[in-house]
Amino acid sequence: MTMFSLNGIRNAFYCALAFGIVACATAPVPVEKLAVARSSIERAEQAQAAQFAQVELTSARNKYAAAQAAADKNEAEVAARMADQADVDAQLAESTARAKQQEQIVGEMDNSLRDLRNETLRRDSSGAGATTPPPQ
Amino acid sequence: MKRNVIVIAVASALLGLAGCETTPGSNATLDQARAAVQEAETDPNVAKLAPTELARARNLLSNAEGSAKQHGADDQTAAHYAYLATQMARIAGQRAHEQIATARIKAGETERQQILLSARENETSDAVSQVQRLAAQLENMQASQTARGIVLTLQDVLFDTGRAQLKPGAERSLDQIAAFLNEHPERRVQIEGFTDSQGTNDFNLELSQSRADAVAMAIIQRGIDAQRVRAMGYGEDYPKAGNTNAGSRQLNRRVEIIVSNGEQAIPGRAASGTPSTHR
Repeated sequence: MTMFSLNGIRNAFYCALAFGIVACATAPVPVEKLAVARSSIERAEQAQAAQFAQVELTSARNKYAAAQAAADKNEAEVAARMADQADVDAQLAESTARAKQQEQIVGEMDNSLRDLRNETLRRDSSGAGATTPPPQ
Repeated sequence: MKRNVIVIAVASALLGLAGCETTPGSNATLDQARAAVQEAETDPNVAKLAPTELARARNLLSNAEGSAKQHGADDQTAAHYAYLATQMARIAGQRAHEQIATARIKAGETERQQILLSARENETSDAVSQVQRLAAQLENMQASQTARGIVLTLQDVLFDTGRAQLKPGAERSLDQIAAFLNEHPERRVQIEGFTDSQGTNDFNLELSQSRADAVAMAIIQRGIDAQRVRAMGYGEDYPKAGNTNAGSRQLNRRVEIIVSNGEQAIPGRAASGTPSTHR
């Protein structure tokens, strides 16, 4: 009776040990994923995402914070997912910010080109009359 | 038996509820991902300009589909991959936008250069037509645009042989040159005298200088600031023709009036000691 009970306890212990090892092996805290997300967020910040892609950047920051919190609690799987999502959110923030800034430059350029065209047109039409005074 | 059935029903209902709660709308997330990837795929610019991101989005979507097939549409992993696929498809779209805008900026810069270039060409053709107008107005003169400036050639018929006094026939041409210089106050003028090879070098140098001085004086008398006018005599150097017969000698006897292109100083003649026809 006692033997059986002891065996049961031992078995339970092995079982728990095995479980722990499996858990550790399949889901370590995703340090790398966190680092990748962190650097993507930094790139987005450098691309002025705070100004041009605020929603996406905020989402990336929130998810990164959630990933860190999960990692602190050893919830490796949640941490990995949150880190991955923070990473794509940051990439979207960066590419959106870049696209918006380039499009803004296009707009400014279109305006200045229009002015330049008008100016040369004006000079051509007025210049032709001004520079040809037939001296009598 | 009856009790068992009820327990199973309640349990499965609870399970269903729990499933819904843990992955709210993963079906919807998957649908969203499909739509986002499809939108990116139908945009030809995305396929062309962001193929890497588009391929990633497709891979993530197929991961999501696979996980949903294996573990059901409410699977958390499926929802996670679906979210990543959606974002990656959007990233592909933004990358394409960015590159299109960059290409437009480049094209705009080219266009700007072209506008500026054609404006400059217009100015140059304005300058050329000014020379042509001036030349048409000048009697007894040839005018040409050179790197040194507008070169006007005054033939020796405007001077008596061996003399440096301008004949009255030059008056009208000088009036036109002075008028042109008044119109373009930034331009300078250099007057260069030349003779043929008859007579001594010294005499020819002096005669060419005197004739150049006479023309310079006439221009200054017409109200052009003396600071803008320079006169040089080159004697028999830089002949136009071979000095072998009366016709070529006449070509060599001349005064050239060089009007600067704009306000820069007139470059000197090619510094070759040997007299040669320039151009």
